Amino acid sequence: MQTASTVDASAQAAAAQAAAASAGMAAAQAASAAAGRRRARLLALRRILLPVVAAALFLLVWEAGTRWAQVPEVLLPPPSAVLDRLVSAFPLLMKHAWPTIWQSLAGFAIATVLGITLATLLSASTIIRETLYPNVVFFQLIPKIALAPLFVVWFGLGPEARLSFSVFVSFFPVVIATLAGLDNVERDLLRLCRALTASSWQTFVSVRLPHAVPYIFSGMKIASTFAIIGVIVGEFITSKMGLGYLILFASAQAETALILAAISVLCVFGLAFYGVVALCERWTIERFGDRPR
Amino acid sequence: MQIHADPAADPAAEWRHPQPVAPDRDAAYLSLRHARKVYQTRTGDVEAVGLANLDIAAGEFVSILGPSGCGKSTLLSMVGGLESVTEGEIWLEGARVTGPRRDFGYIFQDPTLLPWKSVLDNVLFPIRTQKRPVADYEAEAHRLLEMVGLGEFKAKRPRELSGGMRQRVALCRGLINDPRLMLMDEPFSALDAISRDDMNLALVRLWDSYHKTALFVTHSIREAVFLADRVLVMTARPSRIVADLRLPFARPRDVTVQDTPEFNRICAWLRDQIQAGYGRPEQTRGG
Repeated sequence: MQTASTVDASAQAAAAQAAAASAGMAAAQAASAAAGRRRARLLALRRILLPVVAAALFLLVWEAGTRWAQVPEVLLPPPSAVLDRLVSAFPLLMKHAWPTIWQSLAGFAIATVLGITLATLLSASTIIRETLYPNVVFFQLIPKIALAPLFVVWFGLGPEARLSFSVFVSFFPVVIATLAGLDNVERDLLRLCRALTASSWQTFVSVRLPHAVPYIFSGMKIASTFAIIGVIVGEFITSKMGLGYLILFASAQAETALILAAISVLCVFGLAFYGVVALCERWTIERFGDRPR
Repeated sequence: MQIHADPAADPAAEWRHPQPVAPDRDAAYLSLRHARKVYQTRTGDVEAVGLANLDIAAGEFVSILGPSGCGKSTLLSMVGGLESVTEGEIWLEGARVTGPRRDFGYIFQDPTLLPWKSVLDNVLFPIRTQKRPVADYEAEAHRLLEMVGLGEFKAKRPRELSGGMRQRVALCRGLINDPRLMLMDEPFSALDAISRDDMNLALVRLWDSYHKTALFVTHSIREAVFLADRVLVMTARPSRIVADLRLPFARPRDVTVQDTPEFNRICAWLRDQIQAGYGRPEQTRGG
């Protein structure tokens, strides 16, 4: 009896041990899964945190350095002074930001439409392509900023000059990227279209254009920054409004903090602009599949 | 199917067809009449296909077998109207083939699916492109996809599928418009061996019920014999059709056909034919 009960007890103990072990294993697995998730979150956080910390550190060094070395504010104001100026001159900055913003957005939009249209024409007709494409490449090569004064000559002192120059500057990346997208379609896919007796318009709409969409967006991302550059350069040359004008005006007044405040506004706008285009790109790539290689 | 009971020195004689052309050529379904393709290059003319002269009956599944560079794909492209014919003519049902036709089905070596469209929309792509009423073909698209085992993948994008699955989608796309003639250009040669066997079986299953005329280009001997009613052997340099076999295997066809001695004898004979094409003394490689 006794022995039997001992055996029984030991069996029970063994079962309990096994249960405990399996529970321990499950717990360990859960723990390791949780640890894995935590690590992934930490990595994601690190990717955001590290550059932010680096930037904050840079500003801190700048702040401390200018104060410690007593750098004159005209030469380099500390970030805190720039922030002060940004707050105090906020209405002024906004007043000047508006023309810059709308002209950049309009320039970008026109450049995108024109760029896609020209690329379509270039890809549709061999004659047009042979005639125009070398010239497009040539124009891409010349330093476009050097042509800015010409736009003032042609379009006068109004916003038309800035707008048209902005279009001119941001138009080329869209053309080149779109053309690459329209051309880089797999040959077999085009063969399939031909085998299905698709018209060239059908091939364009159902194969070439969707294939080019991710390419178009990478061109548009470049164009978004170029459009702002175009407007600012235009404002440098001739304007009574806009952030470019304000920067020039502030530098004439030796108001370095205002210059930097205007640049900050420009940075925020540029970042938001680029961000919106990048978000649209992400959405379309989700929609249109493959990413351009 | 014509079988010549003449087992002489040539072991394939009983399947070999001496005359690749029909007695009444004008009545033939598909007729290649001394079709020739010559490419002009900087170093002179290159003959891609030399004098293809043959007839194909309606409902025949014909494999075109040969080494790479023998012009078999060019031959297929000429039949499909994707390549012009330098000399000679190609006739289909009493009309000259001068360009691609709406009632052809094409399958290429790569699946060539649209990456931004779902599997179902890819299958329906020919329908939309040819401006046929999509509603009339949706049921067929579902049926084809179920048949090749992709019923649960209709809403997926091609990138979510394996290579074999993608080629199945291409197969369904080739069949969706109920083509009169299927043109298949090494459709499975990019697949791994297991997927390839799988696809061969799927295709044979399909032909149990479909009975469409098909041209199937391949460099795999076993694939050619397993799938086809008739095998044409092509050689490279000069590009010629050197043999025309009518295979004695009935449909519906089973995998076990591949284990019969007859099947293996035919494969061995075909291999000899291809090697003889390579081994000619006047042959200069890489030229």
